[in-house]
Amino acid sequence: MSASTVQEAIVERATGAGGRSELNESPIYVPPRARIFEFRSKPSPARAAVFAAVGLGAFFLVWQLGHYFSSDVNQKFFPSPVQVLTALYTLFAANNFLADVLKSCYRVFASFALAALVAVPAGLLMGSFKSVRALLGPLVSAWRYLPAASFIPLLLVWFGPNDTSKLALLFLGVIFFLIALVVDNTEAVPNEFIEAGLTMGASRSKTLMDIIIPAAAPAIMDSLRNMIAVSWTYLVIAEIVGAQDGIGAVMMRAGRFLKVDIIMAGILMIGILGVFTDVLFRTIARLSMPWAFKR
Amino acid sequence: MMVAEMNAMQMSKIAVPVIQASRVWKQFGNGAVTALKDVSIDLRENEFTAFVGPSGCGKTTMLRIIAGLEHPTRGRVSMNGATITGPSPERGMLFQAYTSFPWLTARRNVEYGMKLLGVPKAEREASAMEFLRLVRLEKVADKYPGGFSGGMKQRVALARTLAQNPSVLLMDEPFGALDAQVRWEMQELMIELMERERKTVVAVTHDIEEAIYLADRIVFFSCQPGRVKADIQVEFKRGRRFPKKEDLLAQPGYTELEQHLFAMMREEIQAAAAAA
Ligand SMILES: Nc1ncnc2c1ncn2[C@@H]1O[C@H](COP(=O)(O)OP(=O)(O)O)[C@@H](O)[C@H]1O
Ligand SMILES: [Mg+2]
Repeated sequence: MSASTVQEAIVERATGAGGRSELNESPIYVPPRARIFEFRSKPSPARAAVFAAVGLGAFFLVWQLGHYFSSDVNQKFFPSPVQVLTALYTLFAANNFLADVLKSCYRVFASFALAALVAVPAGLLMGSFKSVRALLGPLVSAWRYLPAASFIPLLLVWFGPNDTSKLALLFLGVIFFLIALVVDNTEAVPNEFIEAGLTMGASRSKTLMDIIIPAAAPAIMDSLRNMIAVSWTYLVIAEIVGAQDGIGAVMMRAGRFLKVDIIMAGILMIGILGVFTDVLFRTIARLSMPWAFKR
Repeated sequence: MMVAEMNAMQMSKIAVPVIQASRVWKQFGNGAVTALKDVSIDLRENEFTAFVGPSGCGKTTMLRIIAGLEHPTRGRVSMNGATITGPSPERGMLFQAYTSFPWLTARRNVEYGMKLLGVPKAEREASAMEFLRLVRLEKVADKYPGGFSGGMKQRVALARTLAQNPSVLLMDEPFGALDAQVRWEMQELMIELMERERKTVVAVTHDIEEAIYLADRIVFFSCQPGRVKADIQVEFKRGRRFPKKEDLLAQPGYTELEQHLFAMMREEIQAAAAAA
């Protein structure tokens, strides 16, 4: 076997069917240039990165320009992005902001864990058994229409301006929506999965544990991820109640002294934590349910 | 005398009904819909029965009542003499919708029914691999069915149902969602499985060719209310199973039966159109 035939064989394997020479005999085709507005077509990673940078950059540019062209008096109420970032840095460096951030994280995560601990079992049972749904359904849907903030006076009277009332408010803010979502997720489990279990001889508890729960789990995980975002949005309201510590309290105090840069730094911080939480939940889902992400 | 008796005994043994449905009625919506009207069917051991007929004639309803997933409004359905009151692993069911569990690998799917029956782990694992080989999925035993094609998903469910070793296998349009080529492959696979696993089978199907290919007996349903219009033994096959489908098409008698069934189907569809 000469060197050139070996070469040819390798080329053939590399290009799949037919050798390079045969491929080269076919006329050259020049595809049309990739257009920016093409239905459902994904931009190249490079282009996507540029677009993301342009979007973000435009936002900060408009913000910076808005600040630049504001009058001297107004500039105090509309700090530039750089000023906000500086304020955020100063908060961490000089004002022990980390303790407030951790406190806020604790409130959101602890109250949400409690809410999930109640809502997931309740929703699973309501979604699986119409009788449980008949028992709890009307109660849950009625509660959903009551704004959580309207409970603040009550919670203050019951618990006082302490952690408990804040946790309770965050809990009330998400629990009833979470139950409703988990009920939907559970009812979306195909009947055939349940019936397949029953015709294999699964008991009701086995069907619930082995079939309904894993079948609904990815959707429930999505519901949890979306509802903890709502919990973050309630944080500032919760921390107004007897503001002492936490991101919301820092922002409220800054408001009293018209320190808009600190208020904006707080908003930015909550945004960052929100994105972080989202990524955390996605990662947990991906790691614990790899089967749901394989396509 | 002796010989005649022996024959009679053998005959009765072959003809023993595993499932007896007598005078079954099924109404939905407080009598608004009569899905089944006074239907009596005996299913004999190791016989492959196809339920054929236009849509909405109660085929699925009858199958689900046999499975124990639905209760009859009136009448009695029994298995080996005992009234059926709910589902049982004795009667395995294959659905048209893919029911392979996406959260379990193919192997764990097949093991699941056996696990419920208390089969020891080692035996279960060996048996699962055997059934996966049978449906030609041994190479993807440790993959999740999420990325499988429809045919592969259905083969996982089929292997899982067979692995629970039911004496009756119920199938509701099991290949209805598959494309023509895959359906054909699944039909030939069914023939192969029937040769290996002696089972009493009922398959609901729209597909007349499929019914003739697979079944020993075709029960034709008529509509509104659902009733048995015809109960046909597929005589021309004389109990043979054809591993290759094209061999069946060449058999004398095939075309006549197919024409007969198509004519019945047309009659029913026209009757339904006239009634509406
Ligand atoms: N759960 C149900 N509730 C109300 N009507 C039903 C239900 N299941 C079936 N039916 C009705 O019963 C009749 C027979 O249905 P089905 O057994 O599914 O027919 P087939 O399988 O032959 O197409 C149809 O008219 C259908 O609408
Ligand atoms: Mg049907």
